[in-house]
Amino acid sequence: MAIEYQKGKSFMHSLDARTKLLMFIGATVTAMVIIDPILMGILFISLYLLGTKAVDKKMLNSNLRVLVVIFLTFSMFQVLFFTPKDSHFLFYLIPWKQWVPVTIQGLVRGVAVFFRFFIVVLSVHLMLYTTPPVELALTITERGQQRKSLEVAGMVLALATLFFTSSMPMAMNESAFLGLTNPVLKFAALAAGSLIAAALTQKVLARGLPPEMGLALTLGFATVGILSKQTQQITNAQKARGYDIQPKNLIKRVQVLTALLIPIFLATLERSQDISIAILSRGFDYNIGARTYRREFTFHRDDFIVIGVIFVLILLGLTLKNLGLSSPTENFILSLVQ
Amino acid sequence: MAHDINFDQVSFTYAGSETPALRGINLSIPTGEIVLITGPAGSGKTTLCSCINGLIPHYHEGELAGEVTVGPYNTRKVRVGGLASLVGMVFQDPESQLVTNSVADEVAFGPENLGIPRGEINQRVEQALKATRMTGYEEREPHSLSGGEQQACVIAATYSMHPEVYVLDEPLANLDPQGRKQVLELVVKIAKERGKTLVVVEHSLEEILPLVDRVLVMDKGQIVRDGSVAEVLKAGDIKGVFRRPDVVRLAESIRLESLPMKPEDLYRELHKKYKPGKLKNVVNQERKNGQKKPVIQLENVTYCYQEGVNALFDVSLSIHEGEFVALMGRNGSGKTTLVSHLIGLIQPSQGKVTVVGYDTRETPTHELAHYVGFCFQNPNHQIVSFNVREEMTFGLKAHNIPAEEYESRIQDALEIVNMQDFLGAEIFDLGKGQKQRIALASVLTLKPRILVIDEPTTGQDPEMAHEIFKIIKKLNDEGTTVLCITHNVELAALFATRAIVLNRGHLAYDGPINELLLAEDLMKANSLELPDITKLAKQLSPLGVPANTVKFAHMKNYLEALVEV
Repeated sequence: MAIEYQKGKSFMHSLDARTKLLMFIGATVTAMVIIDPILMGILFISLYLLGTKAVDKKMLNSNLRVLVVIFLTFSMFQVLFFTPKDSHFLFYLIPWKQWVPVTIQGLVRGVAVFFRFFIVVLSVHLMLYTTPPVELALTITERGQQRKSLEVAGMVLALATLFFTSSMPMAMNESAFLGLTNPVLKFAALAAGSLIAAALTQKVLARGLPPEMGLALTLGFATVGILSKQTQQITNAQKARGYDIQPKNLIKRVQVLTALLIPIFLATLERSQDISIAILSRGFDYNIGARTYRREFTFHRDDFIVIGVIFVLILLGLTLKNLGLSSPTENFILSLVQ
Repeated sequence: MAHDINFDQVSFTYAGSETPALRGINLSIPTGEIVLITGPAGSGKTTLCSCINGLIPHYHEGELAGEVTVGPYNTRKVRVGGLASLVGMVFQDPESQLVTNSVADEVAFGPENLGIPRGEINQRVEQALKATRMTGYEEREPHSLSGGEQQACVIAATYSMHPEVYVLDEPLANLDPQGRKQVLELVVKIAKERGKTLVVVEHSLEEILPLVDRVLVMDKGQIVRDGSVAEVLKAGDIKGVFRRPDVVRLAESIRLESLPMKPEDLYRELHKKYKPGKLKNVVNQERKNGQKKPVIQLENVTYCYQEGVNALFDVSLSIHEGEFVALMGRNGSGKTTLVSHLIGLIQPSQGKVTVVGYDTRETPTHELAHYVGFCFQNPNHQIVSFNVREEMTFGLKAHNIPAEEYESRIQDALEIVNMQDFLGAEIFDLGKGQKQRIALASVLTLKPRILVIDEPTTGQDPEMAHEIFKIIKKLNDEGTTVLCITHNVELAALFATRAIVLNRGHLAYDGPINELLLAEDLMKANSLELPDITKLAKQLSPLGVPANTVKFAHMKNYLEALVEV
């Protein structure tokens, strides 16, 4: 089923589209660096609660339910085949042949992976359910606005911190890094590198999509609905002309499909011509670089809070990983067993 | 600043075409003039409009000779986008011009392109929506609006760009009569108030002639007549190209020198010049229809799209073999929903639909299609092949008709719609009217007992619309039962015998059409506009003219008789 924008006035709806995009990225990154069932579970539940506030719970559940089986299968693979050398052996799944060992690490990570998938999927759902696609496209389009230097500095610093934390392991081990052996120098080099990378990334990100592309996206989103309506009309027209549109015979079915494709092709062709004429007549190529926008997108207090939380979350994840603590539950269980 | 439009020896031939679409056009339209362009389909009206806003030569490829200038700008040298700030263009089909997700975005789209500051854009959006009476629609989705609202939205979107010249290419084609009146008054008001130039292309002249300064008649790429309304009307008809409104022709037949354009004017002038007597012994020509067995039966049919929203409400009716029924009502009154039941595309939520004895709930659509031929409003949705021959055989194959019958059936069907020379043609090369007739012919190959047609005359010029109704009438005379959705009361009254009117899903009227013409309140409540001749007949009814006269020839006789008495 399609994930469509649902109108609403929830907390999620009130956030800027970019914040929600960052939320998705943040949740995904965090889920990638931490492999821990409890932490993952907490993250999943908080996202889910946000989701139930924003959209109809039934719809959300039914969308997620479809995925349970698929993700469980993935997790089973994790449980069965993830066996690091020193993992704590529990039992064989097929004891009489001594096949398929099940380990503590395997089990724990299996559960974590299950949640990990759901976190990624759920954050996409949340973003798409609560953001009109047009807004999503417009916010990431270049709009020729000037940014304050404070904003730029903040963004560069935040990015640099993340880059630095994630690359810390490179400087922490014994071996030479960029020909440097002094730990202080190593960290200094890393910090400088992170800053440069962050500044470059900021430049690229702040630019956004070229306006032609951004507008093409928004026009595309607006067309999807019309084309699906047209397809419905065409199907009806064909039924009315005596085509059995769901024949049992497979060859007939292919024939029916081709008969459907021609008018859809015609309709789409016509629609794209109509659109190009319509937008040209309304001054699309007047001076696209200097185009203005009716809608204004600004960050509000809530946006900054959410972005802060995401930042801390990623930073926390990276730090835990750097300290070798990316799976505390696993370590805890192992310490109990031993 | 003046923004006169000038055409200097302009000819244009579309790429891939042999015949020029425009030949040696010389034309100048001064700032602030309101100009009507009319002429048969394919006479070059749309091409002329596209020259004004630069789509020719910048978008449509072809060979352009001569110069077109708008104010100081030569259209060859300015981009379409540049001209768009001067020339606002509105095309025939509003839906195809709506490109965004909300009405406010739609109206803001033009000013945004022009780089207008945000504050002013919001002001302009507000103004434009107010001027078009669309305030409150800001967040609605343009595609969920009715035809008239969509057209108003497109006009608002053009208005918000503050162009100097408005070019409207058949802005009324898809609207019901009430919507037509609204839109027409709207654009003329905007142009007059702000002193802007307005160029309108339109087929049906009755409503628009009283509002314009100047009329151009086009034929085969040339301007064949050009002058003030009075001049052009006095010069008479041109066969197959230009037919003056009925009222004008009637006035001529009783030698009224002044040029009445509205029925009430004619009535007044008539009394001024003559002392009309009373008609005696006028027998109202009524078509009798013997009751035969019913072929379509609806019993208490209710249909709702979603819970609580009824598109049809407790509709009961039966249609008998050989009837010609016109189904009328304003946009969105449930007409299409009703006919969709007849072939099982929709099942009633409550009640029962029986077609030639089959319950539509139990019979699949493709089987009902043996008995019911169904023509859709947009022929593009129905055509499934790239050329005419394949298109004609497709239905025959689907119905397992023996192959030896193909040739004769196809010939017959094409003959009925007068397209027998097009058997080898490609669908792409056909115009909209031709496609409509091919779509009808492909349905006729199956020789259906019942023919259901949804709006066969949308966007056709009046002669073509007449022609299509004649074809349908011929089929009806041969025994086919016809149910036809239409906004055109005149054609319905000329050809159909019975009328069904829907109002918000309720059956508002079901009976002989010539009685419907007399029910003034009912007509008004359903946005049905009486033909001019009938309006006149109503005024003349105290003198003995039947109040439901529709035919031009009848009215002419009555008038001549009145004057001679």
